[in-house]
Amino acid sequence: MIHLGKLDSRKPDSRKNLLLSVMLAAGAAAVVALTVFDPATSGVFPPCPLRYLTGWYCPGCGSLRALHQLLHGNLRAAWALNPMAVVLLPFLTYGMASHALVAIWGKPLPRIYLPAVWIRVLCGVIILFGIARNIPALDLLAPRVLHP
Amino acid sequence: MFCPQCGASTADGTPFCSNCGRSLAPSPYPAQPGLPGPMQGQVPGGYPPAPHVENYLVFAILATVLCCLPAGVVAIVYASQVNSKAQSGDMAGAQEASKNAKLWCWISLGSGLAVGVIWGILAALGALNNLH
Repeated sequence: MIHLGKLDSRKPDSRKNLLLSVMLAAGAAAVVALTVFDPATSGVFPPCPLRYLTGWYCPGCGSLRALHQLLHGNLRAAWALNPMAVVLLPFLTYGMASHALVAIWGKPLPRIYLPAVWIRVLCGVIILFGIARNIPALDLLAPRVLHP
Repeated sequence: MFCPQCGASTADGTPFCSNCGRSLAPSPYPAQPGLPGPMQGQVPGGYPPAPHVENYLVFAILATVLCCLPAGVVAIVYASQVNSKAQSGDMAGAQEASKNAKLWCWISLGSGLAVGVIWGILAALGALNNLH
């Protein structure tokens, strides 16, 4: 978001800083809200539009509920809700931390470079995961609520 | 001397960089730090950072999973174009794809937020109705 080098040089620094502050504040607020409210029961978080309109699961369905469970330390419950989100989360967290560090200190974490082919494979995996969890035989991948 | 592309140290007079294979013949872009050219503004010492064009992949994935699936997928496709074009040396194309990846991340985030706002309004209206 912030690390753009040449493209962003047009923007004044104050605008960058404002954007950064807003994003960090929004991220912190989202984590707090996700810890306090369970998206499964609270109604605070909007439902997935695809699920709401068509009844189909998207690749992200269950990811907010999974994050809530992870914030409470329930890895198994999170895994049952959205295994892909659980797998991707460490990488996404690392990437976001790196972006934030670039904006704050001007230096990223060591970059994980993904060749373009891997990115396309990842894109395919996300789409296939979204399709697979709607197939009755593969409903193991659909969001499942574990009752402890 | 140092390779102007990857920064590796090479023996003077070598025609190609032993690290990345770039031709080290005299070019309109001088490699010595301090001279005008593409190396301007790089760190002193002759080790330029590897060319890096932001691909916004992290945000593209977040946008796909959390906000708006179709726009997020477009952002991921542009993210892969950033890397494939940068790999083939087309830095202008990579910058262009980077711009598009960023744009589609924002489109996805915007539509996600719009859904959230509409949901909030509907939920508020529903709560009001339940009061009566």
